[in-house]
Amino acid sequence: TFDVCKPIFSVDIHPDGTKFATGGQGEDSGKVVIWNMAPVLREEDEKNENIPKLLCQMDNHLACVNCVRWSNNGLYLASGGDDKLVMVWKRAAFIGPSTVFGSSSKLANVEQWRCVMILRNHTGDVMDVAWSPHDVWLASCSVDNTIAIWNARKFPEIVMTLKGHTGLVKGLTWDPVGKYIASQADDHSLKVWRTMDWQLETNITKPFSECGGTTHVLRLSWSPDGQYLVSAHAMNNSGPTAQIIERDGWKTNMDFVGHRKAVTVVKFNPKIFKKKQKNGSTPKPSCPYCCCAVGSKDRSLSVWLTSLKRPLVVIHDLFDKSIMDITWTLNGLGLLVCSMDGTVAFLDFSQDELGDPLNEEEKNAIHQNIYGKSLAITMGSQLSSTIIENPEMLKYQQERQGNQNPNGAQASGPENQTPKLTNVLNGESLEDIRKNLLKKQVETRTADGRRRITPLCIAQLDTGGTAAVNSIGMKSNLLLTSASKIEPMKALDSRFTERSKATPGVTSVPLTIGITPLDRVKDSSSVKEPKGKDETSSDSEDKIVVKSMTKRKGEMEGAEVVEKRKKGRPRKDAKMMPISQPFPQVTFLLSKDASLLKLPTPSIQKSFSTQVSTDGVTYLEVENEVSVVSGSRLSQLKWSREGREWDTLLPSRIIIATGSSDVVAVACEDRTLSVFTACGRRLIPSIMLPAPMSALHCSGHFVMALTASATLSVWDVQKQTALVKNESLNPILSGTEATVSQSFLTRQGVAVVSLSNGKTYCFNSSLETWNLIADKQDSLVQCTDFRSCVSSQDALGSMGPLALTQGRNLSAGRLASRLSSTPHHLQQGMTLAFLEKQLASALILLSASEYRHWLLIYARFLVNEGYELRLRELCQDLLGPVHKSSSSSWETTVLGLRKRDLLTEVLPVIGQNLRFQRLFTEYQDQLELLRLK
Amino acid sequence: MAKVQVLNVAVLDNPSPFGNPFQFEVTFECMEDLPEDLEWKIIYVGSAESEEHGQTLDSVLVGPDPAGRPMFVFQADAPNPALIPESDAVGVTVVLITCTYRGQEFIRIGYYVNNEYTDTELRENPPLKPDYGQLQRNILASNPRVTRFHINWEGCAEKMEDSENVDPAPNAMLPPSCTPGKAPPLGLVPDNSMDCL
Repeated sequence: TFDVCKPIFSVDIHPDGTKFATGGQGEDSGKVVIWNMAPVLREEDEKNENIPKLLCQMDNHLACVNCVRWSNNGLYLASGGDDKLVMVWKRAAFIGPSTVFGSSSKLANVEQWRCVMILRNHTGDVMDVAWSPHDVWLASCSVDNTIAIWNARKFPEIVMTLKGHTGLVKGLTWDPVGKYIASQADDHSLKVWRTMDWQLETNITKPFSECGGTTHVLRLSWSPDGQYLVSAHAMNNSGPTAQIIERDGWKTNMDFVGHRKAVTVVKFNPKIFKKKQKNGSTPKPSCPYCCCAVGSKDRSLSVWLTSLKRPLVVIHDLFDKSIMDITWTLNGLGLLVCSMDGTVAFLDFSQDELGDPLNEEEKNAIHQNIYGKSLAITMGSQLSSTIIENPEMLKYQQERQGNQNPNGAQASGPENQTPKLTNVLNGESLEDIRKNLLKKQVETRTADGRRRITPLCIAQLDTGGTAAVNSIGMKSNLLLTSASKIEPMKALDSRFTERSKATPGVTSVPLTIGITPLDRVKDSSSVKEPKGKDETSSDSEDKIVVKSMTKRKGEMEGAEVVEKRKKGRPRKDAKMMPISQPFPQVTFLLSKDASLLKLPTPSIQKSFSTQVSTDGVTYLEVENEVSVVSGSRLSQLKWSREGREWDTLLPSRIIIATGSSDVVAVACEDRTLSVFTACGRRLIPSIMLPAPMSALHCSGHFVMALTASATLSVWDVQKQTALVKNESLNPILSGTEATVSQSFLTRQGVAVVSLSNGKTYCFNSSLETWNLIADKQDSLVQCTDFRSCVSSQDALGSMGPLALTQGRNLSAGRLASRLSSTPHHLQQGMTLAFLEKQLASALILLSASEYRHWLLIYARFLVNEGYELRLRELCQDLLGPVHKSSSSSWETTVLGLRKRDLLTEVLPVIGQNLRFQRLFTEYQDQLELLRLK
Repeated sequence: MAKVQVLNVAVLDNPSPFGNPFQFEVTFECMEDLPEDLEWKIIYVGSAESEEHGQTLDSVLVGPDPAGRPMFVFQADAPNPALIPESDAVGVTVVLITCTYRGQEFIRIGYYVNNEYTDTELRENPPLKPDYGQLQRNILASNPRVTRFHINWEGCAEKMEDSENVDPAPNAMLPPSCTPGKAPPLGLVPDNSMDCL
């Protein structure tokens, strides 16, 4: 088929410069594509088959994508489309490459980007999206005449909907200082809104009064020094212009003139430049200037320096159709331009042409000069005035900012990173799994008799954590067409000279160059070279070299890529919590009458074998009635682990056999329980049970027995003590129709019993009570939302009996919170209650790692939501009395964890919220004091 | 947007005797935890001429489906020969795997199936009454035809929100009418119904 060139409406380079995104029309949907930048920048990379060109394609938008924008920290991509949606994408780190099944081209997605949020609010096509400085907000504008400001820290919360435009809103730009956001619409107006109160700052209409709504987009741009705002399509004397609006007084005295048709897009270079010192010339103080690219419906592109009156370069007929979007590389020397004709062009400047870019320090100095503060530490308007009093606090604040702006540190290219697949395969290879999948997969029948298969999860979807890339070999055929001619635009002129007066502090943009006669431009468009490399046009003052301006037709859609499959390396996954024995999946029926409570016993089998313990594969084999000796029937128990084995004989038929790494327990038909060491030595004489055994578990040197009369016992066979003595299940079973669906014993010897009604209890031997630790029907779980408090390390830390009993339920709860629209304060309260319950449950289960896990989440939640009193109480308990006193009953440890160590872990969390800096300092000092003692 | 993407379907035990159960190993990806089960079906299209000979070999619920990459093997009994017109027993037909969520079909995977006698004698002189015991089933595993449909993942079929949703056409994959032994023409499916690159 030949329609390879679907329109590309938007292009944006990732802040780390290694990739870029395009958005546009797909086959029958919108399309977002992420491309590798390296093949665009270097010809040898383009030819190298091992370097992928296409990294990921997403066709999740139901209709054309109008805009793609990376967040400033590079972690997210936002896209807006004709389907009225804004989608926020994040890199899924742990999933390997995948192809589109059934597709004729075996094109793999090298990187996996997942839609993590769908923002629904607009009632019409979304035309532009923009992240605010520091990614505090995401703005989107639409043909529904509104602009939505989303809270980028708490999607999908809407901070404000800006209403006031009476026409289709087609462009957005944030003030780099963070004070304003500007929008341009078809209603012949450009509006500037304040971020402080989201009210209209100014409404500019004059330059747009003659404009017709003829452009698809109106992408305006703010200069990096914040001093100028440049509009898309404006008119001056019936000619199309890009209007320059000064921050100071919102004056509209200047414009960029010369394009023959409406300006669709303006994009400022992110860098501020200063004149390159020429060799030999005396260094004279040069004033910094900005650089701006302007694209138009007339298919041409012009690049301007604010220090020049005339355009630096104009490229005519760059495309076959209108220019739709422009993006600069971070270093300011390259730019990508996309067009309705389905192609993207790359332009490359040398430093001679643009000048020396100011470094961040110099740029900040300019901002400091103009606005009295550096943008680098401006965080949301509310905290900017807070003074950091404590040096430790400053450290955590800086770390936090470092985490939010990892541009520099993580700028490694996709080629040299290794895959990070989290397989949940528990050490088995995928091949092994596949061989036995049919036998191994759990198949059950639903109530209405239908087959139900529980699929095996072979990889987890994790969009958290940093990105990792698989390097996949790819081959692509790129068509290189010759570059279009480069020539100066005839009537192109900037009216910069009409500036009324110099703005205070804006000496940065001087307008010194006089009028340059057109005929001084020589050599224009005369040099044409088939590969489009090194086309040169020069002008008398500055030599302009536009290098590698390659036009690659068909690259966007027509790339033919051959895929080499790479197998995911299976890794033992920590989430598969080693359980000391398999759960017996026996469902017990119970009668309602408490006095007759009976748990059924497993039927007696002639022989069976079970696998126990996880350190080394241990098998227990039972053969009942193996021989008859003088009238009594003997049963054999055989134990084997990695070649070692022992066996023993028992006088009665064996009902249940189980074991841990330390002990083996066997329940017989004659109601006796025998316990052996892992070497086969009998530990205690047969225990006589009050009723036949229903379920038996071992963990470490603990043995748990559930009898048919619904009583529970737990013994420590090493210390030979009873932890739980014949305790009735009556309290948890009476009044319910429920049955015991599962039971197990934790490594700390806590017995856990799950019922068919979704409730899970454990028996607390010190309080001698049954405690509810998980409830699938618990509405608290369904409505909690603490995702923002879970760090990537935490995800792995949550293993243990608590996670085991509620695991799946929890993730469902998080899902529910995403879908439901519970009011925030209610959700906050429920989350708090839930987290406190988790902490208490972990404590009662004696699960130290889970206690620590939930403690940190709890602390983060308290910090984020500002619960000062609770936070203080928590810190106080962890710190304990500073001075020893005999009256104090404070324990120094909890579940074997030193409380003060925990406090040391909690403090950095507190340090992240400036509001709590007094609290932070208080406990930091006391801890320090104690450490010195 | 689709919450489930089928990543791969491997055809197991292929080729195999006609009476062997079908086995498909399905790998898919869930964008998020699905609150409800997926329903998979294997439909055997018995005759190229008419729909009424299509038989659902089995349907199975698959769940829970957590966010990530689950896989399972879908095994279903061989088709009931009594329901297949005798004239269509030998030759090329189609087997379909469909998946529905909340009662809405969002993917249909079709494979061409060639049933032929392994015995040369039988192949040259096929008996009037098909001898199913001698038939071999060969699924063209390398050539799945995949049709995807937009569905409403949040609700049920009635509350469709997207206008461009396509109703799953019963004939999205017609069995080709061609003589046994020849490669079936694959151009029958309109290309615009394919959701591929």
